[in-house]
Amino acid sequence: MSTATLSNVSTLTRDNSVWRKRWERFRHNKLAMVSLVFILLLASACAMAGPIEYLMGLDANATSLLRRFRPPSAQHWLGTDDLGRDVLLRLLYGGQVSIAVGLLATFITAVIGIAIGVIAGYVGGRFDNILMRMTDCIIALPLIPVLIVLGAVDLTKIGLSQDSASSPTVVFLRIVIIIALVDWTTIARIARAGTITVRNVDYVRAATVSGARARYNVLVHILPNIATPLIVAMTLSVGRIILFESTLSFLGFGIVPPTPTWGNMLTNAQQLIISAPMLAVYPGFLIFTTVMAVNFVGDGVRSAFDPRAETGSGSH
Amino acid sequence: MTELLTLDRISVDIPLDGGFLKPKTILQAVNDVSLTVSKGETLALVGESGSGKTTLGYVVAGLRKQTAGTVTFGSSQRNADGSPPVQVIFQDPFSALDPRMIVGEIVAEPLRLKGVSAKERLARAAEVLGQVGLPPEAAGRYPHQFSGGQRQRIAIARALIAEPEMIVAGEPLSALDVSIQSQVLNLLDDIKQQHGISYLFISHDLGVVRHLADRVAVLYLGRLMEVASRDDLFATPSHPYTQALLAAVPRIGKGRRKKEQILRGEMPSPLAPPSGCVFHTRCPRAQAICRETRPQLLPAPGRPTQLSACHFKD
Amino acid sequence: MLRYTVSRLLQAVLVILVMSLLLFMLIGLMPGDPVENMLEGNPSLTPDTMAQMRALYGLDQPVYVRYGHWLYSALHGDLGYSSVYFRPVLEVLGPAIVQTAKLLVATEIISIPLAMLLGALAARRPGGWTDSLISLFAFASISLPGFWTSLILIIVFSVKLGWLPASGTPLMGDASLSEQIVHMILPVTVLTFFHVGPLVRYVRASMIETLNSDFVRTARAKGLSESAVIIRHALRNALIPMVTVLALGFGSLFSGALVVETIFGMLGMGKIIYDAVSNIDFNLALVGLLLATIVTLLSSLLADLAYAWLDPRIVLK
Repeated sequence: MSTATLSNVSTLTRDNSVWRKRWERFRHNKLAMVSLVFILLLASACAMAGPIEYLMGLDANATSLLRRFRPPSAQHWLGTDDLGRDVLLRLLYGGQVSIAVGLLATFITAVIGIAIGVIAGYVGGRFDNILMRMTDCIIALPLIPVLIVLGAVDLTKIGLSQDSASSPTVVFLRIVIIIALVDWTTIARIARAGTITVRNVDYVRAATVSGARARYNVLVHILPNIATPLIVAMTLSVGRIILFESTLSFLGFGIVPPTPTWGNMLTNAQQLIISAPMLAVYPGFLIFTTVMAVNFVGDGVRSAFDPRAETGSGSH
Repeated sequence: MTELLTLDRISVDIPLDGGFLKPKTILQAVNDVSLTVSKGETLALVGESGSGKTTLGYVVAGLRKQTAGTVTFGSSQRNADGSPPVQVIFQDPFSALDPRMIVGEIVAEPLRLKGVSAKERLARAAEVLGQVGLPPEAAGRYPHQFSGGQRQRIAIARALIAEPEMIVAGEPLSALDVSIQSQVLNLLDDIKQQHGISYLFISHDLGVVRHLADRVAVLYLGRLMEVASRDDLFATPSHPYTQALLAAVPRIGKGRRKKEQILRGEMPSPLAPPSGCVFHTRCPRAQAICRETRPQLLPAPGRPTQLSACHFKD
Repeated sequence: MLRYTVSRLLQAVLVILVMSLLLFMLIGLMPGDPVENMLEGNPSLTPDTMAQMRALYGLDQPVYVRYGHWLYSALHGDLGYSSVYFRPVLEVLGPAIVQTAKLLVATEIISIPLAMLLGALAARRPGGWTDSLISLFAFASISLPGFWTSLILIIVFSVKLGWLPASGTPLMGDASLSEQIVHMILPVTVLTFFHVGPLVRYVRASMIETLNSDFVRTARAKGLSESAVIIRHALRNALIPMVTVLALGFGSLFSGALVVETIFGMLGMGKIIYDAVSNIDFNLALVGLLLATIVTLLSSLLADLAYAWLDPRIVLK
């Protein structure tokens, strides 16, 4: 690079080429782009469940024995279920829950995991050792059985009133929290490994010499430099968490009817596979495609952020 | 001359984790080293890898706490957190710069940590970049857009911006191409002339040391072997280890080396340093006393400022 | 090596103790009350007798005291009674362990060669269409909810086509081997599909790495055929770390087994734990979960040891 090329750049304008190049690379990954569009469309459709319900003049929770097992029609695009409720509407409402659990639990997982991982990596020593043994244990655990027990915990035994323990908000938050409780270790490990690497890099040492404290080093140097693997891990964890939620709800230890979720809609459908097999097809297909799309996006992010593709991207 | 830095009997023990059910071992990285650096003076620390020179540099920079001894700065200036006005330049110019920050932010970081306003520090950054021979436009770019030599200039600019009284430079040339080395070496030399900054210059390259240093300290296995002015040390090395180091520098047309000056064998493990004089296992002059008694650092015969730790010094 | 083994074993024992305490406290938080469950429907039940019963079983004491008592009896071989089966929990769990072991072993026997085959095929030309197809398959495997795959397979093969039974075990206890195998086909298929995806991705990645290494280049240069290179060099090198991958995957495989056993009505460990939690069978749930945890931990311990033993480059301190 010569001085001539340097002087073409106006003074102190931040060069955003890194992110632009990442987006370029991501955009050229067809599978990831299609998946991203699919997820956005599905999420907006789910978010519109209320207005759609109103416009079509339906009620997602109204049961009617006269309307049971209707085939798809102009009014009920995917037909009705065993209680005469519109299947499409229930799928959209179920999607709201699944996507919300996936995003919220990932967010909590990330906050817990990054905080613990970064502190352990930065502080090191005994705290780090204990943490690593803990994550080893949790990673080795058979998660579904443990989640079932966590899902079965009687909240009144830890001080909640009967009413609040069974309120839909608490049931929703409870599944978010128990999933976050077992899932933070993946992100904590990644954050810890990254922190240990970056903590001992010379630019952090240089800042320390100039009087930087731990907080400065973590916020200014460490977090931006470990963001890439964390973003990838968080994307993948959304898919994993949606699977956890649907499995738990299917087994009856997650979100319980009448709140529909893709998981608990399948619990019901299981009993009806002879009379109404399609009821078992739709919710599972949505879980599958959503998780698959999220995983494709995660893979796309991974390769778009690949440091091997980034090194030397600016040197001429 | 006033003493800027005084190291008084510094030792650094690094405990190594022995793992479960295993005793901890202690690595004596630096052992009982006393040195001074005057204002504006360049002291070179030389020695093979594992000699403790980098660890000692870290102690001076405040990156590692000594286990024994005191570090005193004869200066009233202090950073915001009370640390002395020292800056560092590292060996690898790639890991020395945060890849996610633009050069302007990198160079201005010491001022940011001092609480200088953003406007002021960016103006200063452009100024200092000019001093190290980079155009002000460089401030808006990312480190990966620069070559190794340019990166080292950026690192030097970062060290300069805080107007330190001392710069600890850990082998700042050895990762650079030979053609670039002399440019950066000249830059360091210019800075020394213009700003009167003291260097603690860590290197194993005796050619560079000869060019830049005022005084030289030779370390072996964490112990100080010899400390003298550059001219004395290169002209009349007193310690057999120094003599061996000098003899190992390839020279054209000087003929074969004297046999006694070639270093025998490997450096012993710093985990189990030899008794007495730590150099006795490789020393051509070793006698019984060398195995038993650790030699004091004392003036060489007839040269009161040249100190050497050897029972049989020249 | 011996010191390493001993220290890892001691660590494992410690971890198991901690896990047992955690599970003990957790199970205690399940709804209901063991005494009430036991005396359900008993008309002579008065608050007084309830309190007496509680005191008798030590249930009025703080959790660490109860844990101490439980641990003491557990170490003396008394793991308590199942309140649903009215039998000692070990008697209930014994046949369940056999059932689950059959399921898992069958799955591994199919998964491992399948993963090696697909991984090797994909690694032969990374980015080619075989690779893309196999990678799509692996993505599907980690994205498919196992309970849904089970339902779909039942709908297609049991309900529509009528080829295979929808239950995982024959109704008669003394069914012939072939009949048992027929019942296992659907559950093992689901579990294999669930299990094989991560394995394939792993084999592929490690094969690509090995195929790019110098010793494989040497093997090619000396004129070895491509299949010989893949089988004799690449695959063999990919095998050693696979031990770890398999062991780490055990926990998730067991989770999968719970779902599959529940749907296909197989009385394995997973189903027993699920039923115990559903029916608030405290003792059974606790011991079942603890056993599952111990087996997972031991498998990862064994993997580490086997890894150290198989790979000559690893020197343990």
